[in-house]
Amino acid sequence: MRKFRALLLRLDGLFRRERRERELAEEMESHLLMHIADNLRAGMTAEEARRQALIKLGGIEQTKETYRDRRGLPMLEIMLQDFRFASRMLRKSPGFTGVAVLTLALGIGANTAIFSVVNGVLMKPLPYRQPDRLVMIFLHGRGLDHGPMGNADFLALGERQQAFEHVAAFSPSSIGFTLTGLGAPQMIPGTSVTPDFFSVLDVKPDLGRTFLPEEGKPGGNLSVIVSHHFWEQFLHADPAAVGQSMTLDGKGYVVIGVLPLDFHFGPHNELWPVLQLRPAQQRPPYWLLPVGRLKADVSEAQASADASRIAKQVQEQFPHSEDASAVVVPMKELTVGNVSEALLILLGAVGFVLLIAVVNVANLHLLRYGSRVREFAIRAALGAGRRRLICQLLVESLILAASGGVLGLAVAYGGVRAMLALSPDVLPRMEEITVDGRVLAFTVLIVIATAILFGLVPALRCAGPPVGQSLKEGSRAATSGRSARRLHGALVVAEFALALVVLTGAGLLIRTLSQLESVNPGFNSSHIVTALLSLPRERYAKAPQITSFYEQLLERVKNSPGVRAVSITMSLPPNLLELTNPFHIEGKPDAPGQAAPAIAQIPVSTEYFATLGIPLFRGRLFLDEDRSPATHVLVINENMARRYFPDHEPVGTRIQTGEYNPKGDWYTIVGVVGNVKYEGLGEKDQPTMYVPYFDSGWCPWFVREMYVVVRSASAPEKVVSILQSAAWSLDNQLPLAHVRTMDQLLYESVASSRFRAVLFCIFAALALVLAMIGIYGVMAYAVSQRTHEIGVRVALGAQRRNLLRTILREGTTLALLGVAIGFAAALALSRTLAGLLFGVRATDPVTFLTVSALLMGVAFAACYIPARRAMRVDPVVALRYE
Amino acid sequence: MGERADVWQGTLALMVLKTLQALGPLHGYGIARRIEQTSGDLLAVNYGTLYPALLKLEQEGYISSEWGTSDNNRKAKYYKMTRAGRKQLEKEAREWEQTTEILARFLSPGKESA
Repeated sequence: MRKFRALLLRLDGLFRRERRERELAEEMESHLLMHIADNLRAGMTAEEARRQALIKLGGIEQTKETYRDRRGLPMLEIMLQDFRFASRMLRKSPGFTGVAVLTLALGIGANTAIFSVVNGVLMKPLPYRQPDRLVMIFLHGRGLDHGPMGNADFLALGERQQAFEHVAAFSPSSIGFTLTGLGAPQMIPGTSVTPDFFSVLDVKPDLGRTFLPEEGKPGGNLSVIVSHHFWEQFLHADPAAVGQSMTLDGKGYVVIGVLPLDFHFGPHNELWPVLQLRPAQQRPPYWLLPVGRLKADVSEAQASADASRIAKQVQEQFPHSEDASAVVVPMKELTVGNVSEALLILLGAVGFVLLIAVVNVANLHLLRYGSRVREFAIRAALGAGRRRLICQLLVESLILAASGGVLGLAVAYGGVRAMLALSPDVLPRMEEITVDGRVLAFTVLIVIATAILFGLVPALRCAGPPVGQSLKEGSRAATSGRSARRLHGALVVAEFALALVVLTGAGLLIRTLSQLESVNPGFNSSHIVTALLSLPRERYAKAPQITSFYEQLLERVKNSPGVRAVSITMSLPPNLLELTNPFHIEGKPDAPGQAAPAIAQIPVSTEYFATLGIPLFRGRLFLDEDRSPATHVLVINENMARRYFPDHEPVGTRIQTGEYNPKGDWYTIVGVVGNVKYEGLGEKDQPTMYVPYFDSGWCPWFVREMYVVVRSASAPEKVVSILQSAAWSLDNQLPLAHVRTMDQLLYESVASSRFRAVLFCIFAALALVLAMIGIYGVMAYAVSQRTHEIGVRVALGAQRRNLLRTILREGTTLALLGVAIGFAAALALSRTLAGLLFGVRATDPVTFLTVSALLMGVAFAACYIPARRAMRVDPVVALRYE
Repeated sequence: MGERADVWQGTLALMVLKTLQALGPLHGYGIARRIEQTSGDLLAVNYGTLYPALLKLEQEGYISSEWGTSDNNRKAKYYKMTRAGRKQLEKEAREWEQTTEILARFLSPGKESA
C-alpha cells in the first residue's frame, strides 16, 4: 500500500517539474546557509565555512541528481525523454517518416486483414457449445468417402446409436423454398432439419421454441424456425410472429421460433423447416446429412464403430443395397478443411510482403542513421552509454511501427470489408470474419516484432565502430564505409528475393485463372439466360400437372419475340450437376462385386442441345416424338462413348439406368454429343447421359425443379421479363429463382480462383513497389554520398556515359543477385501452390521468366534516375560540396 | 545503488523518524546535525544522502513537510512525523532491537556454551 502510494507520487513527480526544482534549490540553499552560519560561529573563515559545508553536503549537483531520481521514475523519464526526442527527430524528416509509416501500414494492414480471415475461418471454434464434440456421420462406400444417408440408415441410427448425446439430419435445399403469401412469391434459402438438429448444436431460439419430437413424425404439425434476418425482413421483427403460419412450397407451416442474430450454419440459411422422415421401403435415395454431438467419453473411432454397426444391420435389412460402413468426421474439418491450405498460403505470401516492408524500412532507417552518425558519435562522446543509444533507436522504430500498426488496422478494416463485399461466398464462415481481440493481439505482436527487426539493424551498426573513428571519418565518408554498403546491398538483395517469390505466386495464380477462363465449357455461352423454377408439390402432385406446366411454358417462351430457342434441364453447366446414376450396358453384365459406374444423368427437353449450342457428333438429337414412353432413347456425350464403348459403335446400343432390373425397360442410344462441363471448369470431362425429360419411362414422378435455358439476342432483362410473365401467366404463385446469364455463371464458377489471384496480385504489387522504393532509396543515397568522388572522377576526365553505366551496373547487380536467390526459393516454394493451380505447372518457366524480367525491369528503372543524376554532377559544384 | 545502500537508507530512515519524534518538526540540516551528534563522531553523515531519504519517507506518508522560518529567521523546509510515521517508528524500532538482540547472542558465544 505504502509502496503504491509512493509509486503514484513518483508518477506525479514527473509533472510540475519547475516548481519542484525551485523548491529543491531553495531547500539546498537554506541547508547550506545554516551550515555556513554554524561553521562561521565555529570560527572558520567565510571561504572555509562555505567549502566545508559543500564537502559535507556531498556536492549540490550530485545531491540534487539523487534527489531527482527518487522524486520521479528515472526509467520512465528516460523513456519519455527518448520518446519525445524520437518524435521530434521523426517530425524533422517527414519524408522518411511518411514513407516508413506508409510502408509498414500496408505491410501490417495486409497481414492483419489476411489474419482476420484466417482467424474467422480457421482458428475460431465453431460458434456452438463445445464445438469439438460436434461431428458429421457419413456412409463410406458406393465409391464415396463421405456419402449421405437414406431414410433407413438415418432412422436406424437415431434409434440404435449409443455414442452420441443427440443425432439429427439435415438436407440443404440447393434451390430454396418457395415462400408465398408474404408479398410476391420468392425463393428463400433454407435447410430442412430433423427435430433434434438444434439440440445437437445446443442452440436456443431467441423467441419461441425448438422442434418437438412429434413434429418430426409423418403427419405431425409442420413447423419452421426462422433466422433473425428473416424475422426482421418478412415478419417485421414482430414478437407475435411466433405462432403465425406461412406457406412454403405450397404447404402451411407454423413459425415456432426465431434464431439468435449470430447463429450461422452454412451460408445464407433463412428457413429451418422440420423434416418428417417416413420409414423406408428401400435404402436409397441417399440425401440426408447426419450431425451428432459425441458423448463426453466417446472418441471419434468409437462413434464410427457404433455407426458402422448400425449401417451393417441396415445392409442386412436391404440385402440388395451396397455394403457401406460409417465414418465420423469433426464438423470443423468439414466446414473449413478444403480452404485451409489456400488460406495458409495467402498468409505466408502476405508475411513475405511484411518482410519486404520491414527490410525496406530497415534500409531507410539505416540510411538515415548514416547521416546521423556524427550526432550519435557526439552523444557517445558526451557520455551516452551504448545501451542508451540503442534504446533510443529502438524507441524510434517502435514509434514508426506503432504508427504503421494503427494505420495498418485501418487498412485491414477497410480491406476486410472490401474483401467480403467483393467476393461473397468464396469461403465458408465468411460471416464470422471480424477484427476481434485475437486479431488486435496479432497486430500488436507483429508491430513489436517488426519494430525490433528493423530497429535492430541500425542499432547493431551503432554498436559497431568506435566513436572516435566516426567523428574522424566526418560526414562524407560516414556510411560509404565498406561494411555499411555491404549491408545496404544485402538488404536490397533480400528484398528482391522475397519480391520474386511473391510475384511468382501471383503469376502462377493469374495463369491459373486465365487458363480456367479459357477452358472450353463445351457450349456457346453468349446470349443465354437461365433461371430456376420449382413447382410446389401441393399443386403439382401428379405427373400430368408437371409436364403440362413445362410444356406450356416452353411453348409460350418460344413464341415470344427475340427468343431463338428455349429448353429445360435438371443440371446446368458449368458446375450445377444435380443427379448421377449407375448404368448397365445390355449384354455386358456388371463385373461381380464391383458397383456399376455412377455417371451424370441429365433430363432435358427436346431443344436443349440447340439452345446451348452443343455439337452433335454422331446419330441424332432428341425429337418431339421421343416424348412418347414407347421410344425410350437417350443421348450420350463423347467422353462416355470413348470410355465405355471403346471398340464398338454406341449408337444403337441399349442401356439401363438406376438399379439393374433384368425385366426393366431398355433405352437406345441415338446420338453422341460434345462434352460439356457440369462439375466445374477445372474438372476433367466426365461421361454424361441425357434423357428426354418428357419421357415418363426413366423417372415416373418427374422432377419439379428445373432450370429454364433461353437463347435470345435480346437484352437479358428483357428475356427475364418474358420468362417471368410466361411463368406467371400459368401460375401467379411461382417465383423465378437463381436468374443469371450463362456468362455470369461461368464467371462466378471460378470465383475462388479469382479471389486468390486478385489477393496475390495485390500482394505482388505491394512487393514490387516496396522493392522499387528500396533499391531507389539505396542507389539515390549512394550517389548523393559519392557526389564528391564522382566530381573528382569527372574532373579527371571520366566519361559520363561510363559513370551512368557504373551506377546502373551496381544497382542491377544487386537486383540480379536477389532475383537469382528468389528464383531458387520460388522454385522450392511454388510446389506448395500446386493444389491451387490449373493448366500450369508449379515450375512454369514462362511465369518464372516473366516475373524475373519484370523485376529486373523495375530495378533498372529505379536505378536509372539516380544514375542520371550522377551523370549530371557538375565537378565544380561537387568539389565544393562539403 | 547496491544492497548496502538500501540497508543504510533503512537505518537512516529509522534515525530520521527517531530524531523527529524526539525533537518535533525540524529542517533537513537540523536532522543531519542531530543524527551526527547523537552518534557521537562514529557516523560521518554525508548530508546530501539525507534529502532523497526524506523524500522517500514523505512519499510513503511517514513524514510531511512544510515551509517555515528557522530560529535565525531563515526560510527552511520543516519535516514533521505523521501518525503513520509514529507507528512505523515503533515497528522498525522493535524489529531493529530484535535484530541486534539476535546478533548479540551470536556475537557473545560465552553465554551460549554456559
